[in-house]
Amino acid sequence: MEVADHKTQSLENGQAAEEEVDEIENDNVLQFMDSMDAYLTLVHSLSSTLRQGWLDLASARHSMGAYRLNTALLDHTSHPAATSLLVDEGKEPHFTLCKWRSSGNEKLLLGEEQSSHDKSHPQLRHRGATLLSEEKTSFENKASCEIDDQVQKERSKSLSVFGTLVSPKLRAAQLSFETALETLVEIANTRSEMLRAFDKVNQKSGGSKD
Amino acid sequence: MAGRVQIPTNNSALIAMIADEDTVVGFLLAGVGNVDLRRKTNYLIVDSKTTVKQIEEAFKEFTTRTDIAVVLISQYVANMVRFLVDSYNKPIPAILEIPSKNHPYDPAHDSILSRVKHLFSTESVASRH
Repeated sequence: MEVADHKTQSLENGQAAEEEVDEIENDNVLQFMDSMDAYLTLVHSLSSTLRQGWLDLASARHSMGAYRLNTALLDHTSHPAATSLLVDEGKEPHFTLCKWRSSGNEKLLLGEEQSSHDKSHPQLRHRGATLLSEEKTSFENKASCEIDDQVQKERSKSLSVFGTLVSPKLRAAQLSFETALETLVEIANTRSEMLRAFDKVNQKSGGSKD
Repeated sequence: MAGRVQIPTNNSALIAMIADEDTVVGFLLAGVGNVDLRRKTNYLIVDSKTTVKQIEEAFKEFTTRTDIAVVLISQYVANMVRFLVDSYNKPIPAILEIPSKNHPYDPAHDSILSRVKHLFSTESVASRH
């Protein structure tokens, strides 16, 4: 009787373990499907944004003339990219877009970090704290305005390759392609997630069929 | 690839492009263009005169450069060097296939989706049950 009970318990434990494994496998598959769905949705969104950008470029070319908007005018002197990526190589690589970064921006960003660091210090008196927080808010606003100005300067510098006076459509194209860049970074991150989820599912199913 | 130094964690890296003129010009307007001291750019403009060899060389160069984190390649250009794109499997730089003005995106040709599509094949599903 005791032996039979023991056998029944072992069977139940085995079944529970199997159910847990199945649940983990289902979670992995769901994660993979979700990331693939996100990837396809983002690519579809990218297509729309790029279409708008190409349309704006075509309109700009129409109003400015093809001779003013062609690759012969591109700047081939040494210059760094104003927009770049920060890469965090963890379990899966993670990309962060840094738009319109210049030495001016970095100084302003460092100033912002200092201001946020100061926030962690305790306030001495309530009255003084109010004044302090007002000063900090105005500093943050000033820093934010300065960053915006710097970003506008970088944007104008990028447009100036095609002349001092450019069509508003060219500015619109610039914004469209900036949006496309943001979407592309999301796609890159979703791609990493998808590949990681795919590896997990593949491991479970006992290797890929390449 | 052996000997390739990985991009240092949390350092800035470039976006490279192998695409048609309008796509490259658009992204250059967005500030991704980089020209180094040797006048090497992070982009290749593909037109009717661009050879497959030039595209292959650009792809190999961009995927081995240590300062590039993402390579954007128009899907119709990727189709010209499909064997190279599909055989590439490093996490960085990430290869992203993008649509072009005259060639819309086709998920059937995307190298990442091709890699994972066998999961949905009937043989693969049957083998798991």
